[in-house]
Amino acid sequence: MSEFLRDFFHTDWQAMTHVDWTGLVIVLVLAVLMVGIYIWTFRPSNKDKFEQYRDFVNEDFINDEKEDTRREVEHGQTR
Amino acid sequence: MAENVSSEGLNYNFNIVKAFAICAVVYLVVGALVGDLIAWQLSFPSLNLNEYLSFGRLRPLHTNAVIFAFGGCTLMATAFYVVQRTCAVSLWSDKLAWFTFWGWNLVIVCAVISFPMGWTQGKEYAELEWPVDILIAVVWLSYMFNFIMTIANRKTSHIYVANWFFLGMMIMITYLHVVNSLAIPVTMTKSYSIFSGVHDAMIQWWWGHNAVGFFLTAGFLGIMYYFIPKQANLPIFSYRLSVLHFWALMFGYVWLGAHHLQYTALPDWAGSLGAAVSIAMIIPSWGGAINGLMTLSGAWNKLRDDYVLRFLVVSLAFYAMSTFEGPVMSLKTVNALSHYTDWTIGHVHSGALGWVAMVSIGAIYHLLTRLWKTEIYSVGLVNGHFWIHTIGTVIYICAMWVSGIMQGLMWRATDDYGNLAYTFAETVVAMHPYYVLRSIGGLLVLLGALIMLYNVVMTIRTAGQPKTAAARA
Repeated sequence: MSEFLRDFFHTDWQAMTHVDWTGLVIVLVLAVLMVGIYIWTFRPSNKDKFEQYRDFVNEDFINDEKEDTRREVEHGQTR
Repeated sequence: MAENVSSEGLNYNFNIVKAFAICAVVYLVVGALVGDLIAWQLSFPSLNLNEYLSFGRLRPLHTNAVIFAFGGCTLMATAFYVVQRTCAVSLWSDKLAWFTFWGWNLVIVCAVISFPMGWTQGKEYAELEWPVDILIAVVWLSYMFNFIMTIANRKTSHIYVANWFFLGMMIMITYLHVVNSLAIPVTMTKSYSIFSGVHDAMIQWWWGHNAVGFFLTAGFLGIMYYFIPKQANLPIFSYRLSVLHFWALMFGYVWLGAHHLQYTALPDWAGSLGAAVSIAMIIPSWGGAINGLMTLSGAWNKLRDDYVLRFLVVSLAFYAMSTFEGPVMSLKTVNALSHYTDWTIGHVHSGALGWVAMVSIGAIYHLLTRLWKTEIYSVGLVNGHFWIHTIGTVIYICAMWVSGIMQGLMWRATDDYGNLAYTFAETVVAMHPYYVLRSIGGLLVLLGALIMLYNVVMTIRTAGQPKTAAARA
C-alpha cells in the first residue's frame, strides 16, 4: 500500500468518541442492509414475487373506470 | 354522496381529493405570481414598494406557497386518491381528512399574514414561527394517521409501491419538521432555535435538503408510480426497480444535507460524506426515472395524443437531469464555483418547475376528468399550457445557469498580482440581463398556471354538459 493510501485510510481509533462510534455503526449497518436489499430484489428466484405487481394499478379489482376509459378514448387521450 | 360511489359500489371519499386538487391549482397561481414578482424586484429594485412587499419578506412567501401550499395540497390530494384506489377502501376517517384540509389551509393563511409582517425564524423552508410549527405538526400527523389507518383497513393483500413512497415521505417529514423546529419561544411571533452555531446550520440543512428529498421527491415519486402506469394503461417497467428505488432513497437521502455546507465550519469529513452519498444517489434516482420512462417502451406513440402523459414523461426527464446535476454540484471542486451563485437557483428550479410542477400538473389533469366525470374543457388550452410551461422553465433555468457560472467565475477571477478582477457591484451589473430573462421565464410559467386555472374552472363548471368539437380541439 502506498504512503498516500496508508495516510488516507489511517484512523486514530483511540480518539474515537461515543458519537463517532455510533455514527460508524449506523453507517455500517445501513451499508449492509443496502447490499442486502440489492441482493433480495435482484435475486432471480424473487423475480416473479415482485413483478406480479407490475400492473397492479390497472388490475380489474381496482379498475372501476370503464366509463373513464371510454371517455378518454373518445377524447383522444388514449387510443 | 353520489360522486363518491364508484361504478363497482365502492365508497370512496373523492370530495376531499377534489378540494385539495382545486386548492393546489389556485396555490400554483399564487406561488408563481409571488415568485415572478420577486424576480422582477431583483431585476428592478424600485419595485420593492415598502417593507411589507419587499423581496426579503415575499421570498419566503413564494417558497412556502409553491412547496407547502401547491406541493402540499397536491400531495394530499393524490395520496388520499391513490391510497383509496390501490387499497380498494374508503378513507379511514372523513372528518379527520377535512380537519387536515382546513388545518393545512389555516397554515397557509398564517404564512400569508406572517411573512409580509416579517415574523420569521430565519430558517430556510422552515420560516414559520413556533405556533404555526405546532399547528403544522398536528395537521401533518392527522394526514399521516388517516393514511396509515386507511392502509390498515385495505381490502387488497398488497400495499402498492406508491403508498410506500407517500408513507416514507410522511414519516420522514414528521421527524425532520419536529427536530428542525425545536425552539425557545420568546413571544408569540419570536423564538430562537435550540441549536446554535454549526449545529444549527447542520440541522437546518439536514431539514432543508430532506424537504427536497422527501417532500418534493419521495411524495412526488408516489404520484409518478401511480399515475404513469395508470394514464398509459401499461404495467410499470420493473416493480423490482421500484422497490429498490424506494429503499435506496430512504437509506440515502438523509445523509445529503451536509453537502450544503462545504467550505464552512462544518467538519470536512461531513461535507465529503454528504457529497459521496449524493453521488451514490444517482443510481436509484436514475433507476427510478428510467423505470418511469421505460414503462412507455413500445408505446411512445401515446405521447402524440395524451396530454396528461406528456406532462408526466417530461417531468421525469427533468427529474433525471436535476438528480444528476445536484450530486455534481455537491462535489467540492464544483461546489467551490457554484455555491452562493445563481446556478443553485437554476438547479432548484429545474427540479421545482420541471419535475415537481409538471408531475403535479399531469396528475391534476388526470384527476380532473375522473373526479368530475367529464371531459376536459379544452385540450388546446392544455397543450398550450404544456408548451408555455416547458419553454418558461427552460428560459428560467438556462438564464440562471449562465448567470450563476458567470457570477462564480467573476468572483474568483484575479489579476496577475492576486487582486480580485471584479468588484461585487460589477458582478451584479453583469447578471442583470439574465435576471430579466429569468423574470420572463417565470412570467410564462405564471401564464401557464392561469391557463390551467381557467381550464379547470371551466371543466368543473361545464361538467355533465356535452362538449363541442371546437372545445375539444
